[in-house]
Amino acid sequence: MLHVKNLTAAIGDKQILKGLDLDVGDGEVHAIMGPNGSGKSTFAHALAGRDGYEIAGEATLDGADLLDMEPEERAAAGVFMGFQYPVEIPGVNNMYFLRTALNSVRKARGETEVGARNFLQIAHEAMELVDMNEDFLNRAVNAGFSGGEKKRNEILQMAVMQPRLAILDETDSGLDIDALRVIAGGVNALRGPDRSMIVITHYQRLLDYIKPDFVHVLVGGRIVESGDYTLALHLEDHGYADFVNTDLNDAPERPLTGAPS
Amino acid sequence: MTTTALPDSDPSAAARLDALDRIGEIGYPTRRDEAWRYAPHRQLGELSFGPPVEVTRAVPDLDARIPELGGPRIVIVNGLVDLNRSDLAAPDGLHVSTLADTLAERPEQVTTHFERSGDEITDAYLAVNIAFGNDGAVIDVADGVTVDVPIHIVDVEVPDTTANASCTGVVVHLGRGSSATVVETHLGVGRVFGGSNIRTTAELDDDATLEHVLLQDVPDTQIHLSRVDVTQGRRSTFRARSFNLGAAYGRVAYDVLLAGEGAHADMSGLYFGFGDQVLDQQVTVVHAAKDCTSRQSYRGVLDDSSTGVFNGGIDVRPGADGTDAEQSNDNLLLSNRAEVNTQPRLEILADEVACKHGATVGQLDETAMYYMRSRGIAADEARRLLINGFADQVVDDVGIAAVRTWLTHRLGHDHE
Repeated sequence: MLHVKNLTAAIGDKQILKGLDLDVGDGEVHAIMGPNGSGKSTFAHALAGRDGYEIAGEATLDGADLLDMEPEERAAAGVFMGFQYPVEIPGVNNMYFLRTALNSVRKARGETEVGARNFLQIAHEAMELVDMNEDFLNRAVNAGFSGGEKKRNEILQMAVMQPRLAILDETDSGLDIDALRVIAGGVNALRGPDRSMIVITHYQRLLDYIKPDFVHVLVGGRIVESGDYTLALHLEDHGYADFVNTDLNDAPERPLTGAPS
Repeated sequence: MTTTALPDSDPSAAARLDALDRIGEIGYPTRRDEAWRYAPHRQLGELSFGPPVEVTRAVPDLDARIPELGGPRIVIVNGLVDLNRSDLAAPDGLHVSTLADTLAERPEQVTTHFERSGDEITDAYLAVNIAFGNDGAVIDVADGVTVDVPIHIVDVEVPDTTANASCTGVVVHLGRGSSATVVETHLGVGRVFGGSNIRTTAELDDDATLEHVLLQDVPDTQIHLSRVDVTQGRRSTFRARSFNLGAAYGRVAYDVLLAGEGAHADMSGLYFGFGDQVLDQQVTVVHAAKDCTSRQSYRGVLDDSSTGVFNGGIDVRPGADGTDAEQSNDNLLLSNRAEVNTQPRLEILADEVACKHGATVGQLDETAMYYMRSRGIAADEARRLLINGFADQVVDDVGIAAVRTWLTHRLGHDHE
């Protein structure tokens, strides 16, 4: 489904992704873990199409070249990104926003648009999934929402959009345990054979609730280790220290003298 | 500027002649006058303000161009009430009449509209309006009456080839404890140069509530001057909602005097400019009594080479203790040729005063654009949603659904 090869991303002179390889198959859930500044969010934005990066390498979804597309075209192709910091849009009604989003991708795919009545049903089912009540729909997008409400709104949008590939960027950050459970429940309900997910997180905690098929460690803009769920448990016990040192060893400009043996 | 002779004499004639004399003393405003810095003085000078001129072209069906409010309506064309298009029938406790009839029959009812001391006549266009604006609308609400239907005043300017510009007067009086909604829709016809100068005087007795909506949508070949002077009694509430949308130069000026203790002025407005439009808001709220509150909240969206102006004053007089005043002005620039000039003016001469003001000028939020596009919404549509979202926060302040609908259509229509 998703094929990423030798992906690099830079902002100006600063190289953030330095040749990232990743293959995600149908229905798989991949966790990407890594210390702060390792390039986790940049990877998510590179797939979603944020402006401002110089991108090279390959990223295809079902064979289609994502890097050649505008963000809205990627959404139509089936990419959905759950933002670490969902954006507040005062004055734009949440329901109207959701329906416009859904109908925009349907239109781009040559499908019929969903009418107001049918949409309400879709929205209600999605709201149930993340335990949100009706008045969320009538508020402005994320405006004045608490941290937990914003993250639930992301999952609600994902449930409405029914993406082929969901990239969840630190969806667990800033959540208490109850909110985390609700959100993980929503994500798990959306797992399916036709939908793949990339779950980006700093902490292993989220993976207790959303059990990944594969875990990758991202350090210094590269995936330095891949494994199954037990890799996450290892990170929980030992932190990223092993991998950070590995990365330093790879950096030739950095003298190793004095490094602990 | 050419002026013609005064129309038929009436009881206010002396005051009106005095006003003309005052022009000789103060002259016409120039760019050096802060309140008139962005006005097109050369074009203003080419306008011929004077008594009403005959309408020389067909006035199209107005119903399609104004909100349908269903209540009493006064239509003024080139400074004269057009009774055929008006409906003066009013519920009990509300009296709607023409300014010309009121001047002839009950001149004392409109004395304060015309009789201004020399000091109060601060600019020549006010003087011109006092001198020539002898027709228009008079609205009087009796004590304790709540008027359920909005009262609609429609002012239409139909210029011919003489650069004619009309003067219109509106006088509103709300008796003690009464409440009413007045909507003024200012329109123009044709694509030629012309102007209008409309002035409203509103007096709110104690505990009265007035919602005053001003919709300015004249063609951009015209110059439009609106002025609203308000005097508020104790515990009265004035809600002003202005939408300054049309005209080459569209000016909306408010002068609100909080004269009685505990009065409240709640004012908001939107200006939305395209092309070379200059949209000018001049707002002054004077706190002259204790424990009054005022809110000014104005938003501008400026595209192409348009210019927005917000000049907002809070003037707290000695003794007006317990004043609570806030002012905000937020602007969205859609083009790098668009411009906004925002200026707060605060003068505080009392104790225990809470005054806040703030202004912002920004462009479309790129992060929000990206967020919406990542949800599949195309860039043009995302842009439209963001702009409407910004503007709708003022539209939502309007209590009358028919006006909100009219505005949504007007705003959506123009930038699609």
